[in-house]
Amino acid sequence: MIWFVAKRLLAAVPTLLAVLTVVFIIVRIVPGDPALVILGDQATAEAAAALRTRLGLDQPMWVQYWTFVSNALTGNFGASLVTGRPILEEVGAVLPHTIDLTLASMVLGVVVGVPVGIWAALHRNRAIDVAARLLSLLGLSFPVFVSGIYLLLLFGLHWRLFPVIGNADLSDFGDRLHKVVLPAVALGLTMAAYITRVTRSAMLHSLGEDYIRTARAKGVPWRRVVWVHGLRNASLPVVTVVGLYVGILIGNSVLTEIVFNRPGLGKIIVGALNQRDYAMLQGLMVIYCFLIVVVNLVTDLLYGVMDPRVKQA
Amino acid sequence: MKLRAGLLAAAFAMVAPAAMAQQGTLRVGMAAQDMGRLDPHFAVSTIDRVPMPWMFNGLVRFPPGSIDAAAIEPDLAERWETSADGRTWTFHLRRGVRFHGNYGELTADDVVFSLRKAANAQTSAFSADLRAIETVEAVDPYTVRIVLKENVPNLLGILTNYAGGFIVSRRAVEERGDGFNRAPIGTGPFALERVTPNQSAEFVANPAYFRGAPQIARISYRFIPSDASRDLAFQNRELDLNYGRSDQTWVNRVRQQQGVTVDVFEPAELAIINVNVTQPPFNDIRVRQALAMAVNRAELVRWRGQDTSREGQSLVPRGYLGFTADNGLLPHDLNRARALLAEAGYPNGLTVRVVHTQLPEMLAAMQVIQQQLRRAGITLDLQVVEHATFHQQIRQNLSPLVYYSAARFPIADIYLTQFYHSRSIVGTPTAVTNFSHCGMADAEIDAARVSTDRAEQLRLWATAQRKLVENVCGIPLIETLLVFARRDNVDYGYQLRGSLSLGPQITEASRLR
Repeated sequence: MIWFVAKRLLAAVPTLLAVLTVVFIIVRIVPGDPALVILGDQATAEAAAALRTRLGLDQPMWVQYWTFVSNALTGNFGASLVTGRPILEEVGAVLPHTIDLTLASMVLGVVVGVPVGIWAALHRNRAIDVAARLLSLLGLSFPVFVSGIYLLLLFGLHWRLFPVIGNADLSDFGDRLHKVVLPAVALGLTMAAYITRVTRSAMLHSLGEDYIRTARAKGVPWRRVVWVHGLRNASLPVVTVVGLYVGILIGNSVLTEIVFNRPGLGKIIVGALNQRDYAMLQGLMVIYCFLIVVVNLVTDLLYGVMDPRVKQA
Repeated sequence: MKLRAGLLAAAFAMVAPAAMAQQGTLRVGMAAQDMGRLDPHFAVSTIDRVPMPWMFNGLVRFPPGSIDAAAIEPDLAERWETSADGRTWTFHLRRGVRFHGNYGELTADDVVFSLRKAANAQTSAFSADLRAIETVEAVDPYTVRIVLKENVPNLLGILTNYAGGFIVSRRAVEERGDGFNRAPIGTGPFALERVTPNQSAEFVANPAYFRGAPQIARISYRFIPSDASRDLAFQNRELDLNYGRSDQTWVNRVRQQQGVTVDVFEPAELAIINVNVTQPPFNDIRVRQALAMAVNRAELVRWRGQDTSREGQSLVPRGYLGFTADNGLLPHDLNRARALLAEAGYPNGLTVRVVHTQLPEMLAAMQVIQQQLRRAGITLDLQVVEHATFHQQIRQNLSPLVYYSAARFPIADIYLTQFYHSRSIVGTPTAVTNFSHCGMADAEIDAARVSTDRAEQLRLWATAQRKLVENVCGIPLIETLLVFARRDNVDYGYQLRGSLSLGPQITEASRLR
């Protein structure tokens, strides 16, 4: 197991390096001058040139690249070009909020999506199945910025159950939980809709297999057939989708963070892009990439737990 | 960060009796994702500018709520005198003004350091504003002498609590280096306690403030980029002040809420189409005149809103010292515009490729203008790019027409110099924002700047405006005012008519009812 994890982590290094290189090149190809963003439109060309020198942006590209990669390898991502704050400090301040939101949305997506998918599969082509399919279609079609505003209007403004400004006090677990509910619902329902459809289809496939018929012929109770024999075999595609979706959740959280006024990685990355904050963008990409690698690793490990054939291979 | 907050708290505890009167937290919602640089000499974006006068003072100041240059009054300096030739100014500082935390009393040394820092392109974004200063020196701990290379239209204007005029603690800058950007020290009524990235900046009252302890205990300055979410939070009473949209529909909607006042205030941003007179087809004045006559300013104001905008009348915003409406501005006349185009060799109209930003407000305005110009046969092929790209490309002369909206210090000289002096032409080493490549009023602009005769100065600025308008270097469109909404529990302590920091000043007299 340890060797497997180590191998996967080592395999991620070239991926990270490739991503770093691509990001480094792309942010510099995109037009836009960080010095202008920092100094504003009244700055003279002379002042902008002086700032570029101070930020090291007048160095040859390969020097900038080498500085960035060598610093990154030692865990030093430098400071934001715009705010001057260390990047790890900025990320550290918001990462718990992103993790809260991602985990809460994922839990909600799985807790709602899996049972509804199973239920729909067991009632194939009946009213319940049609309703589940329609609802999941609706969930997939509703963008977060629309559902988010409706949730705020209803639960924030009308019933006053949740605050509109969702930046929680990290030292207060109750406050974190209270403020993650609405955004997690907005983000998690879309995931639930997706998982419902995948679970339904995987369950339908699984329930039609010979081992299900055999189990039923042997007199195994129906509930056990569904939850143990059926679901266990249907869970592989579901785990795959959940694993993939966690990556999407981290990326998609930007709109949720903006609508619900939550701090988070997504919001920082958009700000960095708008302000041409190269250092921040590069640092964030490494962190994003690392998170995705970890999620994929956990997914692979879960395969082994659920299907012994994977472990043997 | 905690240590700094502790030190601030400890320092303020020493003047606890004054703090007893303070109450409440003022919650301000701002349309931005995060603060940038908190060094006042680098505070260029709206979000950074708004809290600057909360934390810092200048030698002199605009009275709170005003941007009237004639009303400038003492701030850190209690009085001043000038030499007969107007080039030597001596400022006498107030005694007993203390910096936040344990940074001691303000002295002439801090003032000299601050002004030199503000005048240096390496340490300030506003160095060009202080170009005319030859020397700044401390005569004694409470006296500062400034000698000018040449006369300037309004030295006091440069030294106000605005841009390069803010005074910082020398010791704090030297101790903190780049960290001063994140932990600034001033003398203002509020001190920065902490910034939580992407969330808020928290300020605490400075009970030792030289005008008296503030009545508000804290300010929570919250970064909420989504307009819809910020409005909902304001409606839900989670905010006391809300950065508003200069849009009539928004103003009308917010005014319908109970217990809410919408403040519309100066300075207005003047939107101009700058026309590059060196590039075909706009090197032909008939085409530029056709363009000017195709624009319908009254329609633009109807679109933007009567309460929040007004017609642009010159290439200098209204109300600025030196503004004149008598400048030969061409009226809206579609028939004449079409005739001029035909005369210039474009009987079937023409198509122009224009780079423009995707910022929603600017894009919407440009789309209205695009429609107006189409009626005269001028088709704008808009190349919509991301905002930072727009700023770079217009400085590379990639767009013959540049829509630009800006507010500046309210004196004609600044606007005219930055936008229409040949020294400011984009692409040159001294470039600022002259996109039109016009330099035909250089002589008047330069002469007005150093003139000591106010009547002569006004006449020169008027002539400059007439030359630039008649040559259609730019086409004034609309002036858009600033908007903030406040709950009626907020009393600024003054009437908000204008604010150069682009947001309400929270002073020692402001209170929460």
